[in-house]
Amino acid sequence: MDRGPAITRSRRLLAATALILGGLAAAVGRPAPAAIDVAGLAQEITAEADHVDAIVLANWIRNRRQGLRVVDVRTRAEFDEFHLPTAESAPLEAIAALRPSSAETVVLYSAGGAHAAQAWVLLRALGHRNVFFLAGGLEEWTAEVLTPVIPDDPDLAATMPWSRIVDLSLYFGGTPTRAAEDPHGTRWHRSIDFEGGRTAPDQRPARRWRRGC
Amino acid sequence: MKSVIAMTAPLVDSLAFGEATSLGVAVGIGVAFGWTLERAGLGNARKLVGQFYLTDLTVFKVMFSAVVTAMLGAFWLARLGVLDLERVYIPETWLLPQLAGGLLFGIGFALAALCPGTSCVAAATGRLDGLATVAGMLAGVWITGALIGVLSPLYDATGRGTFTLPNALGVPYGVVVFAVVLMALGGFRFAEWIEARR
Repeated sequence: MDRGPAITRSRRLLAATALILGGLAAAVGRPAPAAIDVAGLAQEITAEADHVDAIVLANWIRNRRQGLRVVDVRTRAEFDEFHLPTAESAPLEAIAALRPSSAETVVLYSAGGAHAAQAWVLLRALGHRNVFFLAGGLEEWTAEVLTPVIPDDPDLAATMPWSRIVDLSLYFGGTPTRAAEDPHGTRWHRSIDFEGGRTAPDQRPARRWRRGC
Repeated sequence: MKSVIAMTAPLVDSLAFGEATSLGVAVGIGVAFGWTLERAGLGNARKLVGQFYLTDLTVFKVMFSAVVTAMLGAFWLARLGVLDLERVYIPETWLLPQLAGGLLFGIGFALAALCPGTSCVAAATGRLDGLATVAGMLAGVWITGALIGVLSPLYDATGRGTFTLPNALGVPYGVVVFAVVLMALGGFRFAEWIEARR
């Protein structure tokens, strides 16, 4: 039985289908709808899942968290003057070129925090997931990592793992002081989750086995 | 919107399967894969070896068809919001171990004229060379596992993270999809031209 023409016909049909779907893909460009999921992002912002605290970031840097990319969105000149350990420079106007992979966790920071938060929105709009920003910027880093003030009040002192904070501060070359020596008194008003479990759920895919054909 | 995407990401997550059901689904997909390979004639080492002598390019045509089908499916399912590509695992690049492994794999493929999938199909359809290849493959897996401590410097060397063509080339995803479709169709025509010369 000669099935030649039928096979040729179905092949032509399949080839045409592939061409059309491929051509449409080229016209569409992106594999996900381009519109920003405003409600979803707003929900993340409300749940404070968009940023990390300076202490958490410091802990991540010290523990060499796998796939961590610390990104300075200030100008190149400001970056050259001072930047966080392991940080890379990506000024706000060049943020689209960052292209983090899905296995990486990006933490953005700026001087105060506003530019980093805006960069966060831009990167999320580009479809990147594991992006966070340092809410208080370098000011928060200076206050909480480099110059933490340890309260003398024993009740307050019991609320925080001060030895770890001092340890972390010294690691980054900071100068922790006691509240009695600090004219401004204590600045600590909240609890800290060192691993960033609450503020930054670990969404990295676990490294799985490699597959063959 | 977000919850919908989270629910519909990889199939197993979206249907909230237990581990047993997931394994059942995997077996079903595996049987379908083997069925398709056998229907394409790829359980036969003589057919596969034709690839290396450029007399029968069925392997190329079947595999590239599968690539194009999966690629178009993934792209459009993602576009329709059914699949979350961010959650699809992309194998990482490890230059040195993958070059070494690829070379070893190529030698084994050329010697046995079967690759892991097709050797299982050949074994399941009662071909003795298929059984021997599966035994060799399992032995290789076992030896690698036993020596992983010694091999780990190579195994973990030259990690480069995940690469995708759209990211590496800086070209929109859809354009890469279209280019691969054109490459495939051109490749099929070229393959049939080579086959017709014999």
